[in-house]
Amino acid sequence: MQSKRNEHLLSILVVTAVFIGMIINFGVDSRQAVDARNTALQQYLPPTGSVDFRDPQQRALLKETLDIYFPENQGDNEALVLELQRYLSGETAAAISSKTLGSALDGSKLLEILGMLLSFIFVYVLVMGITYYGVQTLAIFRFTRMKQERESYLAELWTYVQSLRNKEKKDALNPAKIIVYLGKACAKGLLYFILFSPAYVIAYSFKTRFDTDSFFFMVLLGVISNGLLITYAQKFFTFLVGESRKGYVETAMVKNLHNDYSTNEKSGIPLKNIFALRKAFPGHVFEHIYINAHQQYLAAIKEQASFLISGLVIIEMALNIQGHLCYELMQNILYRRFDVVLVIVLGIFLVVKATEIFTDSWIARDARRYANEEGAGA
Amino acid sequence: MMKLYREKDKLWLLIWLGGLLLLWGWNLLFLNKPALAKVQSGLLNTFFISSLVIVFSAMLGWISGVGSYFLEKATSKIPYLTVTFFLNIIRSVPQIVGILVGYIIITVMIQDGSLSSTFYIMIIIAFVISLFVFIEISDLVRERITYFRRRDFYNAMLVCGIPEWQIVNREILWKNSVAHIFNKLIAVFGITVFLLCSIDFIVSVGLSTSVSAVNLPVTLGSLLAKIDSKQDILAIGYFITHPGYFPKLFFEHLQGITVAFLIVFTLLCIYKISNGFARRNEL
Repeated sequence: MQSKRNEHLLSILVVTAVFIGMIINFGVDSRQAVDARNTALQQYLPPTGSVDFRDPQQRALLKETLDIYFPENQGDNEALVLELQRYLSGETAAAISSKTLGSALDGSKLLEILGMLLSFIFVYVLVMGITYYGVQTLAIFRFTRMKQERESYLAELWTYVQSLRNKEKKDALNPAKIIVYLGKACAKGLLYFILFSPAYVIAYSFKTRFDTDSFFFMVLLGVISNGLLITYAQKFFTFLVGESRKGYVETAMVKNLHNDYSTNEKSGIPLKNIFALRKAFPGHVFEHIYINAHQQYLAAIKEQASFLISGLVIIEMALNIQGHLCYELMQNILYRRFDVVLVIVLGIFLVVKATEIFTDSWIARDARRYANEEGAGA
Repeated sequence: MMKLYREKDKLWLLIWLGGLLLLWGWNLLFLNKPALAKVQSGLLNTFFISSLVIVFSAMLGWISGVGSYFLEKATSKIPYLTVTFFLNIIRSVPQIVGILVGYIIITVMIQDGSLSSTFYIMIIIAFVISLFVFIEISDLVRERITYFRRRDFYNAMLVCGIPEWQIVNREILWKNSVAHIFNKLIAVFGITVFLLCSIDFIVSVGLSTSVSAVNLPVTLGSLLAKIDSKQDILAIGYFITHPGYFPKLFFEHLQGITVAFLIVFTLLCIYKISNGFARRNEL
């Protein structure tokens, strides 16, 4: 564990040093940089003086004219028209005078970024906690269904229809049962679609129905979207299946540990245990399968954290949630304040590193407890 | 049919291809030609870039996995520690942040005039994305080598004079691990579609003055960011409170619904194909 901790600390030191060097290098006052650009834009104003930049048709005509004269720079032509529009509408001046982008990277700016970072960390920890619970619960529920030899709802419907055909005495087809099976299959399909949807698809679907900038909606999106929950539930499920095939499971069954996976029998696994916050299955062989699978899952938490942070970055940027860290990141990229961009990226990197250190400590503690190994880790 | 049902990866591959074909037929009938051309172009570009990412990730993962194994056995530990150090740093960078930095560099190159061909831009984009996803392949390669290293045949082959690089590359990775690597590459394809669509959506929505849509290839993400697609997506929320509006989603809002459906349907099917493949090959 000590060597892992040293490795983490070394990478933090090296990356921080490199970033500080780059921040100092990029530390040009935004006002100077934008003033230089505005001066460059001045040369385009006399020729375009008759263009009304508020009219989309006139903007399109100007762009087409530029494309005729400079066909190899179509991208630059479009960017130039947009820049002129922003400049003349005063957007650039407003951004410069705004608190967000006007100041250089000084103490107050750093404090502002720190505040946003703490808010980001709060959302991240909350979503991580909820997904940690959700991943295990979903995986255990799925494992229990597998052990009960339950198939998909469409397969169960097919089996039901076949069973009616094969019976000597022809029972009547029960339409209600068919509707229930089909309804469950459709609900499961819809749930899959929601869980696999990128956050921006869900958010834009409901933009006029809910306040998609709210803290609650951000946490909800972080949990249910981007495929995070389903991907890591599948991973944990794979660990459970792998453990259930090992020799100690059969030994445990021979020693009279329960191995009934029904949810309504006394010797089975009650639903309340599956959905409990602290998972425990006393007297059941699954308790040991779960503990061993959980140890393997701890190593995957680092990957889950990185993916979760990617998801939160996507949510904040794609939904333009103002006053949040990643929206600030995007705005500073737009206005070429690369010193601020580097500070924010460094902050996100340190959050990931803190998660890795925490997870490695957790793995080492569990290894000492269950495997009697000192310094074991992923 | 029962055989197909049991081989879930093939079943979901058929469902995916069938779904794409059905959607294409529907769009041929009801979507206007310019929008259909954009959707087709976006879909093909997305799949082309994702396929390139698979190739680059496989190469980088194989080279870094095998390379770090042999470096670990070398007399001097410094190259091994250096390589591991940099791999761990890449592992600690959230993928979307790394790819965003890569896009900034690509933008600078486009504006400089160093990059102009759409084809080369797609290759560079694929390379940037693969830099942040190849680690999973590398970890898998190391894991497989470590697993088989403990088997008797390894030392027996060494004693017989077979070069170690041949044992690792041919016997372990090619003959005994291709299914595992292929399964991981299927998952990488899905991750790439997700990351590519997300980054293109973000760039189109938030950075449209710095990055010109004219120069970057059209993908499903950038199509979804267009104002008409966003309005089509808004209609989904409207239908929930006005269920009678449901049929209109498939006629009047077809572009946005098609793009959103393509992204979600592809991610779901790739996930199912990957699971089915792992189950069928008992990975």
